[in-house]
Amino acid sequence: MSAPPLLRLDFPARAESLAEVRAAVQRTLSAQGMESRVVARLVLAIDEACANIIRHAYRGCGDGTIALRIARHRGRLRFRLRDRAPAVDPGCVRPRDLSECRPGGLGINIIDDTMDHWRLRPLKRRCGNVLTMVRRLRTRKT
Amino acid sequence: MTDKGSELRRDGDWAVLRIWGEVDLSWSQDVRRQVLEAYAKAKALAVQLDGVSYIDSSGIAALVEGFQHARSKGGRFALLAPSEAVRAVLELARLDRVFPIYDDLGAARSG
Repeated sequence: MSAPPLLRLDFPARAESLAEVRAAVQRTLSAQGMESRVVARLVLAIDEACANIIRHAYRGCGDGTIALRIARHRGRLRFRLRDRAPAVDPGCVRPRDLSECRPGGLGINIIDDTMDHWRLRPLKRRCGNVLTMVRRLRTRKT
Repeated sequence: MTDKGSELRRDGDWAVLRIWGEVDLSWSQDVRRQVLEAYAKAKALAVQLDGVSYIDSSGIAALVEGFQHARSKGGRFALLAPSEAVRAVLELARLDRVFPIYDDLGAARSG
């Protein structure tokens, strides 16, 4: 049986929502007694994931919604973001080579570097995608 | 002072764009435009970041564009006094080794 979510937040897929999302994630993770540096990094990763959904999945149209759930279970934090945008090909979503100095495309690197693992899954029968990110509470990562 | 904003000033040959607050997707396009417009006024641009409490990859992308613009036009570009929040993201993106970073404008001038 999975644990009840620490946070359930549904919000419009707009850039203007992000400050409120960051504040809610920050409060939730701080209440778990996590180190502020780790909280800041996780907040950044969630923000990047939401920004990618807004820009690339919904293509900035502003009409969609995003559902965020954070749960703690067996020494892990699980972050789940669900959108109702057209299906995204997970094969196209991967970190880029950081030795290239160019604008854009850093969000996935930040997520990849912050989380222990993550998975993007387009929903087969309904419109939308689910991004699941997992971070162990005891990890060598920042 | 408002929770986020920017101001552009001229200091000799340099334009100094000071930014403060949270730079995220809701504002980064505006920051990008300001960085590129500042080059219309000077050949050297310093972006002062001590008051930036949060920056995401879209904000970093605006700085990268400014840096690339300077390189292509033979101008100078510098970051001044990045806050801890900015430094953390620059390090994560391995851009702390790419951007010229100085404590203040005096150091950027002689750098």
